[in-house]
Amino acid sequence: MNAMVILLIGVAAIGVGYFVYARSISQRVIQPDDRKATPAKMYMDGVDFIPANRNVLFGYQFKSIAALGPILGPIVAVQWGWLPALIWIVFGTFFIGWVQDYGSIVLGVREQGQSFGALSYRLISPRSRNILITFIYFYLLLIMGAFGYQVGFGLLINPAVPLGVLLVILVGLIAGQMTYKWKVDILVTSVVTVLLAFVGIWLGTQAGVKEFFTGLFGITKDLPTGPTIFLSVTLAKLIGSLLVVAICYFGAILPIWRWAQPINYVSFWIVTLGILGGLVGLLIWRPGMGDFPAFTTFSVTGLGPLWPILFVTIACGAISGWHSLVSSSGTARQLEKESDALYVGGGAMFFEMFFAIMAFLTATVAFGSFQGYKEAGAAAAVFSKGLSAFMNQWGLDTILGQGFGVAYGSVFLTLMALTIMYLVVRFMRVASAEALGDRLPALRNPHVGTIIALLFTLLLIWIVPFLQIWVVFGAANQLMASLALLLVTLWLMSKGKNYQWTFWPFVFMFITTIGALAYKTYEAFFMNLPNAAALAEKNKLTVGQVTAANIIVGAVCLILIVTALMLAWDAVQAILRHRGQKASAAPVSAD
Amino acid sequence: MKWWLTLLHGARALLDILYGATIYEMVRDLKKERSQREHLFALVVFGDLLGLPVLPPYYTLKILPYIVPHLPGWRTSLLRERDLTDLCDQEIT
Repeated sequence: MNAMVILLIGVAAIGVGYFVYARSISQRVIQPDDRKATPAKMYMDGVDFIPANRNVLFGYQFKSIAALGPILGPIVAVQWGWLPALIWIVFGTFFIGWVQDYGSIVLGVREQGQSFGALSYRLISPRSRNILITFIYFYLLLIMGAFGYQVGFGLLINPAVPLGVLLVILVGLIAGQMTYKWKVDILVTSVVTVLLAFVGIWLGTQAGVKEFFTGLFGITKDLPTGPTIFLSVTLAKLIGSLLVVAICYFGAILPIWRWAQPINYVSFWIVTLGILGGLVGLLIWRPGMGDFPAFTTFSVTGLGPLWPILFVTIACGAISGWHSLVSSSGTARQLEKESDALYVGGGAMFFEMFFAIMAFLTATVAFGSFQGYKEAGAAAAVFSKGLSAFMNQWGLDTILGQGFGVAYGSVFLTLMALTIMYLVVRFMRVASAEALGDRLPALRNPHVGTIIALLFTLLLIWIVPFLQIWVVFGAANQLMASLALLLVTLWLMSKGKNYQWTFWPFVFMFITTIGALAYKTYEAFFMNLPNAAALAEKNKLTVGQVTAANIIVGAVCLILIVTALMLAWDAVQAILRHRGQKASAAPVSAD
Repeated sequence: MKWWLTLLHGARALLDILYGATIYEMVRDLKKERSQREHLFALVVFGDLLGLPVLPPYYTLKILPYIVPHLPGWRTSLLRERDLTDLCDQEIT
């Protein structure tokens, strides 16, 4: 199978999905009316409700929803073979992903810009709001663990990467200074800082710098991964994880215009140029999949059975619960006209599907064989090497030196992860202050809240293996998606509209996610814990670490299952209630 | 002629998308911060409109004509019920 065929499948799915299916649902069911004032126009308070042009909002929505999820998920999922992963990316987006994003925006617009917390409280049950907060909290904690693991234990331990990352961060700070304090034109700032960022990444690949970091990590011929400090954490991994935590600390504490925003801005250009460069290389090369199998096995070691685990492994590339929160709390309050909702919500999700297909291709075609993919290393390493292979088709390494492409891909991923992680820590700090600040006043101190969130992060990174965190993170994400689809279904029911297009996706996502959590709980407590010693030896971990990791994973899965079952109970009550209201509102026939 | 206009519209749309993905959030956050400070000022000066008498009305009435156009948005923003999920308009996926 050639990469061009895959890209064409993606384009065809977008064409049919958006222009036929999505448009038909929008016109027949939602029936957007541009004469109605959206909350952005009705309130226009200058704080949360500010109308924006549809194209601007599309860019904003896409940037808000596209992160590491659509990259790492497909790369991990092709272990089942390329066909199941591709089917879920395409059909998941086609029938479920855009439905959730679009439905969330419409719900927000038609309900005066209320957030999902308030809507859950009203449409489902009062406790469903707390259930949503629980899902969000675990989702955010697991994101920190998953991304922190890939960055701290994977990307930053490559000696060619740390300096590049640090220099890009410095360049970001300079961009903030230039924009906000020196009032330099944004175009000049962009050109200068992006060029400096490239120089920084290039400097990181120089022999002297690599030697320095190799020495710092204690890497020698006899110790190719460096000395182990504790558990399975080598010196390199310790430095990498502490660097991640330090960067997140500053990102969470400093004013957003000083650190987070300008670094995000420079990172956006690194990422965009990387994607464009990779796409150009792919179009020049047009590689095939070699012997990459369409299907390998139903149950993959370390992950689990294809159903239900594949459907939570690829989250953001097909459907992601976080999109519903971004859509309802952000986009819905900025929509200028109702008819813009499909273009912004549905369009951005279909575009993200394309992004996921690009990541899928880095795993399946860049290495020429399945064995090549397996030897490339962890998911992040697969992506950076794959992207580098695409960009080398037009001579990136020839122009900027051997190894630049891989370093660039690694910095690309590191920045994407870090820009999300410090925003997550900010949220967790505020959330813990709001939820527990009255009982524990120390949590109101931003430094205390931040440090606690980062300590939890380190615990996860050091103890729990990536694949275990990733699947549970995906499950927490998909539970939020199920809740969003349920909310949209209930709203459609209450308005007497056709709800089949949201109800069946909700049922599928809910059952699949509960199945995935149940499997992971069973695996943790009944498969892994009794065989901790054998697993520890096989994976070069300590027995204590394997035991702790499986207890943490099992406990988190159990909490999520219990809250999901509570939600299921409330959902049934809510559905019966809404159907009852609809029946009692129907006219009584005269006998 | 029509194809030329279509190209121009397409280029304009792409620039808007790029703006939305890059600078828009920074501009939005700056506007939010400015609005929050303006709302705080209005709360201090015209708090009695929400039942919070802070300054004597004699002084505040002098600036009333300048603040009247912003009053509806100000009231909505201050009195709107907030939820933790309101913080979720950030890029975290």
